[in-house]
Amino acid sequence: MALSLRTAPRKIWQTLSSIKTGVVLIILVVIFSAAGTVILQRPATDPDDMARAYSPAMLRFLDVTGLTDVFHTRWFVALMVLVSLSIIAASVERFPNAWRFFARPYKSPDEGFRRVLPTQAHISITDEEQGLGAAERAFRHMHYKSERIVRTDSFSLFSERARISEMAVYIVHASLLLIFLGGIVDALYGWRGFMMLSPGSSSNQIEVKDGTVRTLPFSIRCDGTGEETYTDGTPKKWWSKLAVVDEGRELSSKEIVVNDPLVHNGVRFYQASYGRTGKLDRLTLAATPAEGTKGTAQEISLAPNQIVSLDPDTKVQMAEFIPDFTVQDGHVYARSNDVVNPAVHMIVTSVKANKVVNYWLPEIPGVNENASSPYTFIPKDLKTGVFTGLEVSHEPGQWSVWAGVILMAIGLTFVFYVVHMRFWVVPVRDARGNLSLWVGGAANRNRDAFEQTFKQFVEQIQKELKPQTAAAADKAPAIADTTVAGR
Amino acid sequence: MTLVVGVGLSIAFLLFIAFLNVVKSGNILSEANLLYAALVFYAGAGALYLGFGVTGTESYIKFASLATWAGLVANTGAVAHRWYEAGHPPFASLYEMLLSFVWTLAALTLIAEKKYGVKVIGTVTMPVAIVGVVLMQLLRSEVRPLVPALQSTWLHVHVTLAMLAYAACALSFALAMMFLIQDKIRTETFLAATSIFTVGVYAAILGRFERWGGLNVVAWDAENKTEMFISRGVRLFVTIPDLGWLMLLVFAAVAAPLVLYILSITRKNGSFLSIANRAVFISILLQSLALVFFLLRTRNGQYPSLDAEGLYPTSLAASPFILSALVGGIFANLLYLLLLWRRSDLERLLPDADNLDRITYKTICIAFPLLTLMIAAGAYWANRAWGSYWSWDPKETWAAITWLVYAGYLHMRITRGWRGRRAAYFAILGFAVVMFTFFGVTYLLPGLHAYA
Repeated sequence: MALSLRTAPRKIWQTLSSIKTGVVLIILVVIFSAAGTVILQRPATDPDDMARAYSPAMLRFLDVTGLTDVFHTRWFVALMVLVSLSIIAASVERFPNAWRFFARPYKSPDEGFRRVLPTQAHISITDEEQGLGAAERAFRHMHYKSERIVRTDSFSLFSERARISEMAVYIVHASLLLIFLGGIVDALYGWRGFMMLSPGSSSNQIEVKDGTVRTLPFSIRCDGTGEETYTDGTPKKWWSKLAVVDEGRELSSKEIVVNDPLVHNGVRFYQASYGRTGKLDRLTLAATPAEGTKGTAQEISLAPNQIVSLDPDTKVQMAEFIPDFTVQDGHVYARSNDVVNPAVHMIVTSVKANKVVNYWLPEIPGVNENASSPYTFIPKDLKTGVFTGLEVSHEPGQWSVWAGVILMAIGLTFVFYVVHMRFWVVPVRDARGNLSLWVGGAANRNRDAFEQTFKQFVEQIQKELKPQTAAAADKAPAIADTTVAGR
Repeated sequence: MTLVVGVGLSIAFLLFIAFLNVVKSGNILSEANLLYAALVFYAGAGALYLGFGVTGTESYIKFASLATWAGLVANTGAVAHRWYEAGHPPFASLYEMLLSFVWTLAALTLIAEKKYGVKVIGTVTMPVAIVGVVLMQLLRSEVRPLVPALQSTWLHVHVTLAMLAYAACALSFALAMMFLIQDKIRTETFLAATSIFTVGVYAAILGRFERWGGLNVVAWDAENKTEMFISRGVRLFVTIPDLGWLMLLVFAAVAAPLVLYILSITRKNGSFLSIANRAVFISILLQSLALVFFLLRTRNGQYPSLDAEGLYPTSLAASPFILSALVGGIFANLLYLLLLWRRSDLERLLPDADNLDRITYKTICIAFPLLTLMIAAGAYWANRAWGSYWSWDPKETWAAITWLVYAGYLHMRITRGWRGRRAAYFAILGFAVVMFTFFGVTYLLPGLHAYA
């Protein structure tokens, strides 16, 4: 298994698993993500706005390089895949050592270790049993569990806390991979789209974001929709009563609002918007015969393309309904679909006189012929169609994402707030044969706080030692010998 | 002595105005009054910190701390009042978010003082708090009911986490700056940095310079208390005449110290630096002048627009970005003067460099998990509201970039042992990205997050 350190695969692996690679990749992700926020992106931006913002040559360049849809181009996805690979490589490369450290705790420190450990102290004792006993009591006092480690001719003590903390960083990186996995699954298998329903209608067609149409195996029927507004007109609540219908059977129903979707078979229906279709439902008018014509005043109700007879001679038909009209150059145009400034164009036909009158409400100078109409009309009520806008999504990968998020929260808690602490107590004899208790400690983070904890522990041992030695002839414990070295 | 008299008179004046407000509204404990009280106290604290800068009297710091406490109490009252009136925690509009942010900043300042012993951190955080409260006085403050997308507990969770995270990042920025002071970075380097920052601010403002010397600002509809729009998403701009020239002049004034600094390096002549420092002082006066003119011109008058016929009014509320930039520039320069005049006192009062380095790291260890949870909560809320937990919307993307930058800091520190100056610069970079995520995205980039 003599793998030369210079073989190509080995070199690739080492580059991939190095921290420098990771940082370079992070910087690249940052640069391209930032570009994606500053450069106008399709499909979110209107093509007109894009044409206005960039010159044709620039726009061509941006489109070709993919900068107008950065987050979905292949090279950005490849970058994210590289980031995942780098995380995996870095973790795999370092994990075996970490696992060895984790799985085999170092319980009995040898002389070399004892010499160089930064946080240590020596406490003079007269008797091994007494010293170790005091240490055990000290451990108990500080709520640490300790175990006796048998050595050749005596035993030592070992105590540790939260060894899992050594694995914390791998937990965090694994969680990141889970999140990426979810994102990749959703990118490949997930989809998002839009469905517009009017009350009473049902549909199983979704307009997917990329422009295609997707057919669901079941239908959604809208049984009602509505909007509540605050007194100043801003929307307070949009709701829709939806039912899931499969082969004629109603499987479930729910009244959804924003933030509370309907879920069926992994497909989620969100209340996204509400609006008027801009199409007329019904217009109610009061018709009064003009001066000198025969006929009776009546109230009529017009629907699009419906012909209503006012009297045997006269008929009226709705030709156009414009929800938001504007006049330009003598023509009437629709400015938007919102019912802001409605206009209706009716055609009044008098059979006998063979007269056709274009009647406009409101009167539009230059266009209307209201004066020559046999009837005058006053609008009474206007009902326009409403629709509910549903965002529909299928994101199978999201469970991986949420799992990753929870795991990351746990991992970060361990990384920052859970410290792996170890304590050793070994009775040692120095060159002159004096017996002392070597106390050592190590922590994997927050070392300044740990120094405090260690000092307290040492003081506690000394306190536990006192009653014993006081019993002996007025010999005070040699605290002068205690050295607490730490970094 | 004169300073104490000056500060005392100013506070007396402000209290008198407050008294008039109380009389006018007939209600002592209204939210506006409590906020005003908070402003007074924060302003007092800020003034006392800067007063320490001028005179070096240490007792000012103790009083500044007390003033911060008083301000926090008043601020808490305002928050509670707002919460009660609105029926939801104060997170639904820019006004409310500023209220929460300022509260968090004051609270964290006091924690930093007590727990970490960094007693002068108020010199940095109090000016920011004052800017926040001043901005709030200008924004529309009626309790706005929540639009459907904002009616969610996850909103509260997400925004709380964001405020805490950003406040922690702000603190780490202040601590990193203090580290650089204690690490004996030369005062001239701070001069260059402050100057570059101010130059950047005025360059951004001059982006609105209009050919004949005017400055373009957004028109304001005073009745509906909203910006004026020509059509959907397109704001109506009016041109305030001559303000452009003034900004250009001030730009030259704030560029002067930078130019002098560069000269002092290239000509290897240190005397340029003392001129540069005087130039900073003069530029502060000119910046204040620009601020006053901006305030006066935006409050009164109707101005022509290039895009529409007629004259239209504007308001400070229409240009919060310009206002905060102007005020921020002045404060940054004042803080530089504080450093210039009282460096040895500061070095005595601040913890040593190693400690500051460690405390910065610890603050980021708090900020990073908060950032993570903030992004996660935001993603979950987006999933429930819009059906997608991540749509690469500019705010989301920049929040992720912020997260990556701080992750970079932690990587560099933990695995590569980066300490000291490199770590401090990284922390400062991180906060710059936070500021861009918070302000830049809202005012410079479009997207779903436009309301906050």
